[in-house]
Amino acid sequence: MNATLSQPHEAVDPLKLLRRPGVRLVSIFGSLDEDGSRRVHYAVDIDNRQYRIVSIPGEGAIASATPITPAAAWYERELHDQYGVAIEGHPDLRPLLFHDNWAEDVHPMTAGFEKVPPGTRAPYRFLKVEGEGVCEVPVGPVHAGIIEPGHFRFSVVGDTVLNLELRHFYTHKGTEKLFENMPIADGCLIAESVSGDNCFAHAVAYSQAMENSFGVAVPARGRALRLIGLELERMTAHIADVGALCGDVGFTVPAAYTARIKESLLLASTRFFRTRFWRGVAVPGGVTIDLATADAAELKRIVAEAARDFDELAKIILETPSVQNRFESTGVLARDVARNLAVVGLVARASGLKLDVRRDHPYGRYREFPTEIAHHSQGDVLARARIRIDETAISARLIADTLSEMPSGAIRTSIPADANAEGYSAVESPRGELFYWVRVRNGRIARCHIKSPSFQNWPALPLAMPGNIIADFPLINKSFNLSYSGCDR
Amino acid sequence: MIFDTVKQSLSSQRVLIPVEQLLTDVQGSRMPDVQPSLLTAEIARRAVDACPTTALTLEETDGRTQLVLNYADCIACGRCIEAGAGAFVAARKLTCCGVAKSGLVRRWDVASGAEIASGEREMENTAREIRSLLGRALNIREVDTGSCNGCEAEIVAMTNPYYDLERFGIHFVASPKHADMLLVTGPVTRNMVEAVRQTYAATPSPKLVVAVGACGCSGGIFAGSHATAGPLDAIIPVDGYIPGCPPTPAMLLSGILQVLQRRS
Repeated sequence: MNATLSQPHEAVDPLKLLRRPGVRLVSIFGSLDEDGSRRVHYAVDIDNRQYRIVSIPGEGAIASATPITPAAAWYERELHDQYGVAIEGHPDLRPLLFHDNWAEDVHPMTAGFEKVPPGTRAPYRFLKVEGEGVCEVPVGPVHAGIIEPGHFRFSVVGDTVLNLELRHFYTHKGTEKLFENMPIADGCLIAESVSGDNCFAHAVAYSQAMENSFGVAVPARGRALRLIGLELERMTAHIADVGALCGDVGFTVPAAYTARIKESLLLASTRFFRTRFWRGVAVPGGVTIDLATADAAELKRIVAEAARDFDELAKIILETPSVQNRFESTGVLARDVARNLAVVGLVARASGLKLDVRRDHPYGRYREFPTEIAHHSQGDVLARARIRIDETAISARLIADTLSEMPSGAIRTSIPADANAEGYSAVESPRGELFYWVRVRNGRIARCHIKSPSFQNWPALPLAMPGNIIADFPLINKSFNLSYSGCDR
Repeated sequence: MIFDTVKQSLSSQRVLIPVEQLLTDVQGSRMPDVQPSLLTAEIARRAVDACPTTALTLEETDGRTQLVLNYADCIACGRCIEAGAGAFVAARKLTCCGVAKSGLVRRWDVASGAEIASGEREMENTAREIRSLLGRALNIREVDTGSCNGCEAEIVAMTNPYYDLERFGIHFVASPKHADMLLVTGPVTRNMVEAVRQTYAATPSPKLVVAVGACGCSGGIFAGSHATAGPLDAIIPVDGYIPGCPPTPAMLLSGILQVLQRRS
């Protein structure tokens, strides 16, 4: 369930747990005990039904989970960077968060850390693909489009990609460290700035983690407004992504049209909630802005119109031969690869994995009805486009249903100001499972860990590339549309 | 099929927003403005206490208290508006986009509520030089130095049919080597410092640099993090600032046009 932790430190061997069938790794992260000693937490999802967190001491060396599940690889590298935890048996402990202009042995999340000392570290070693005719193509961190920074290292023969290696974390801002000692209310401001295009999902996930920790229930009207915000954010993201995919195959008219539909939704949010992206709306305990009763019908009309326009456009897009030619069988992420890397969100659902936090671990308003899930199995760009099209229609229906039956009453309740608590929450953001774990000491945040769907899904992108031509990379990358900032934090 | 699309888009209503309506418009940004007639010492104190950054401060000058609002630091959280009992409101129009850093600061005498004239707008030789060379045509290279991608979403929105940046002859280009202006977002992470310097060096002179968003102007909510090295103007010279978290497409557009037209 999506709830409070009854036993924060269960005495279970996490590696044994990860070996069990039906267990999916959600996150691995560190924390400090009261005495400053390190602890390692493993969050898992059992049979898509139940989250469970087990913890072990992190002072001595711990055994790597990566040989059991490759999904653990980046989490353990991050744990090593942040906390300096020794991890035995990890195949690749190269620095993940810190680039060459950071001194060696910097572990910002450990007790007593003050600032990064001057110095540099040994140059990062990329994997080397060797053989006759193999060329390396480095791309980024500054890209050609208006997108976030990251580095892609392609090894190609002719146009065909043999291997793609990612070097990310250019946007690493030490976000988890920034939460330390913040008042509970201010944590929301940081959560909103983890991944700007999914800022409402982050704010809700953070707020719910606090509400679960303190056992606080958000009033029904607050829950309904959150659903509207979350589904509007999903619609906006999906519509923009489908447009961007059209742009990447030179089909610019629908790209402009989707941009217009997206803007109509942002303008509606401005009109009714005074914010384009719902920043500042979710807070621990509920929401800050109510929807006037008279405005509900108008918002419903605008959302329905956007959904109808997008649906018509989507039919045209999917029936266009040049689009089919570029989307179909491009960038296939096989189902078993997706499962091994514990991929989440629409990328998982496009590769045949039925995962959705709204259905599997319902929260807020989603507890009150079963959520319909879009599902495809081909794992190619086309499947990822179709998922977005299907889900946009579902989101519009969810918003319409919610607006038709808006509960009355309060939108917000209070959170205890001066207390100790610990808990977590998960939200299905437009990109997938977003998981927040928080610990509060004397009313201040002691630790906040963010598992973002992008951190989970980025390692899967290179595995959809081999055999594709390098010119299709922008399209394949866009079809995943992962957040760099959400991943790098 | 393509004909259906074209037909559909031609038959649909025109949504382009006239430029007069966009300039100085900040609706939806949640940037605060002050209603001087309602400002009291008590309310000013409450708003300053509610501010999670250093955007709102009180300063004592010659025995008088000034309320200082620095838009560079404002993350548009709306808390001063919530705490300000009507004296702080969500701004509808502001002229702080595309100005020099001093132009982002506004002051009010708390006792009288009167606004004290804001900082001088600096003379920009570069802007004039580019304008004389290019008229209003401008090539922009966008550079993300570690933003949350909120600014990117809004920069992309500038090209949608509502704002249509291209009507001003302004284009986004794929390389700094083709650019007249760098539009820079983010607090400049430690991992991006070198890339920012190299991008600046690769942009031919004369060139303009515009810092975008609270992060670009001051580091925003990430100022002071061990993993950031900014703000931007500590790394490369900056010609104009567009505050906001994120700035709306109207603010970005106003800011870019303002930087181009700025005179002493």
